Amino acid sequence: MKIGIPKGLLYNNYHPFFITFFSELGAEIITSVDTNKDILNEGVKYCIDEACLPIKIFHGHVSSIKDKCDIMLIPRIMQLHKREYICPKFCGLPEMILNSIENMPSTINEPIYASSEMKLYEWALNAGKRITKDRRKINSAFNKSMNVQNDHIIGINDSNYEINVALTGHPYNIYDDYINMNIVKKLNRLGIGVITEEFTDEKIKNSEVKKLFKKPFWTFARNNYGFSVSSAKNTSINGIIYISSFNCGIDSVTVELIKYEIENFPFLLLKIDEQTGEAGLNTRIEAFADLLERRYQYENNISSHG
Amino acid sequence: MYYLGVDVGSVSTDLVLVDEKTNVIEKIYLRTKGKPINAIQEGFKILKNKYDSNEIKAVGTTGSGRQISSTLIGADSVKNEITAHSIAALEISNDVRTIIEIGGQDSKIITIKDGIVTDFAMNTVCAAGTGSFLDRQAERLDIPIEDFGDYALKAKTSVRIAGRCAVFAESDMIHKQQLGYNDSEIIRGLCDALVRNYLNNICKGKEIVPKVFFQGGVAANKGMKKAFENALGFEVFIPENFNMMGAIGAALIAKSTVKKRGKTNFKGFNISDSKFTSNSFDCEGCSNKCEVVKISENNNPIGYFGDRCGKWNNKVFDGLENLA
Repeated sequence: MKIGIPKGLLYNNYHPFFITFFSELGAEIITSVDTNKDILNEGVKYCIDEACLPIKIFHGHVSSIKDKCDIMLIPRIMQLHKREYICPKFCGLPEMILNSIENMPSTINEPIYASSEMKLYEWALNAGKRITKDRRKINSAFNKSMNVQNDHIIGINDSNYEINVALTGHPYNIYDDYINMNIVKKLNRLGIGVITEEFTDEKIKNSEVKKLFKKPFWTFARNNYGFSVSSAKNTSINGIIYISSFNCGIDSVTVELIKYEIENFPFLLLKIDEQTGEAGLNTRIEAFADLLERRYQYENNISSHG
Repeated sequence: MYYLGVDVGSVSTDLVLVDEKTNVIEKIYLRTKGKPINAIQEGFKILKNKYDSNEIKAVGTTGSGRQISSTLIGADSVKNEITAHSIAALEISNDVRTIIEIGGQDSKIITIKDGIVTDFAMNTVCAAGTGSFLDRQAERLDIPIEDFGDYALKAKTSVRIAGRCAVFAESDMIHKQQLGYNDSEIIRGLCDALVRNYLNNICKGKEIVPKVFFQGGVAANKGMKKAFENALGFEVFIPENFNMMGAIGAALIAKSTVKKRGKTNFKGFNISDSKFTSNSFDCEGCSNKCEVVKISENNNPIGYFGDRCGKWNNKVFDGLENLA
């Protein structure tokens, strides 16, 4: 039995869980390659036009491995924490794919509520039954994959730069170097360190979120808001770069909330879509790097004069 | 002794020579027409007849074509246009607080405090609110873009035209034409629409503090200056060389680079006689299959562009760093 796992959306965050789970059950794992031009082109070809770039790219990943596997995993991740949800496009992801891409293998697409281990186990039990009837095997695969997942640490926490930016946005825009045109490498080359939200304590993020008149409905909105606003108060962070997919509805609200709260703290919004020309992105990050550098020198001069 | 600044933008390629005191000695404005190399060579041909290459003490490039032009001419500095524009504006007037820059494909706001850039914003993926919006409508009205300003100033009233999207604007404009408004009123409406869009979109959340400089190609349009002043309620200044500010900034940056380093990398005006060829190929190094462009001067490769990993690109960067 071959299980296809597309390398799009939250793959980077949760692949240890999925890969361990299905391989423990005895399935062979087929993953797609890292995002590249062919995957982008296929994704744009199949996906409905209104969707955002990461969703289109996910379609491309699915299409690249659909003929190589018996079952395709389309993780319909609904919830990671109680009383909040993942982006609405995730709830309809399997439908979008099954109605757009022809000759799909059968899919595992049941909703995933990962807000508690119990709920996640229900999903795993259902999914596992597609591979084996042995419940004990499913249980042990589940436990093992939970452990592997818990040991999986992602995030960037550069420490040897004088000037640092908080890099924020949906994780699939931050960790897919094809989508974001190698932004981390580019910033490092300009002498700027990068720090991502994983290294900020949940409590610190949430204390900022609590000040909002209402708790955000969406997990990524809460995370990005909490991280950005707390970064603006963190003296070792000099600016914020927010990577946002063109026409993302959640970001359109989050970005405004952040800008309102951080006032004059340097903030750069990078909108990404399917363009592959890098000049526009380079100009913005180079100018932002200049701005941070001059501010840094200026502020340090002031303090040295007393 | 002069400093050369080259700004290769999407619509125009600008070259300036400034002297020690930043007086603009020579300015050349050429249409890029999608061929940056030709535009630079054309400009160099003009300069070659008037100046000796040895008179150039430093060369800087800016604009979206800054990398390719730097390779071509041997630039001492390669700087983004936001920094270049602000340095040029500050040189002219050290109390400037806001720069409005509207070019062919992009528009920017730069805010300055105590002589340093504190914030900037640019239009996002869409080119709404830029010069191309006006260009497109000028074409439709069959009125040369150069005359737009005069038309706009003649109008007594302004017609409201949707400014967010060039496609919406066009249908709105047609409806207003059908209602019988004249060209002047429509053009003034277009200027107002562009200003409204610029202020609502790009400047959203930013305070526009005088003194304001309005620069970039669109500043040639008197109607736009008026529309900005009406919307902001105070005077907007257009520097004398408003459409050369990027190039002037590039020249100034190059000047300070060479001051630190001692000598220039400038290859001389004779490159106008070189034969430049560009070939593109798909790199087979990995699954990204980047489209790489190779630029050769008289059949010697001088630069590669377009690869993501830097395998080709670094050949150029390393070269520059070795020289430095």
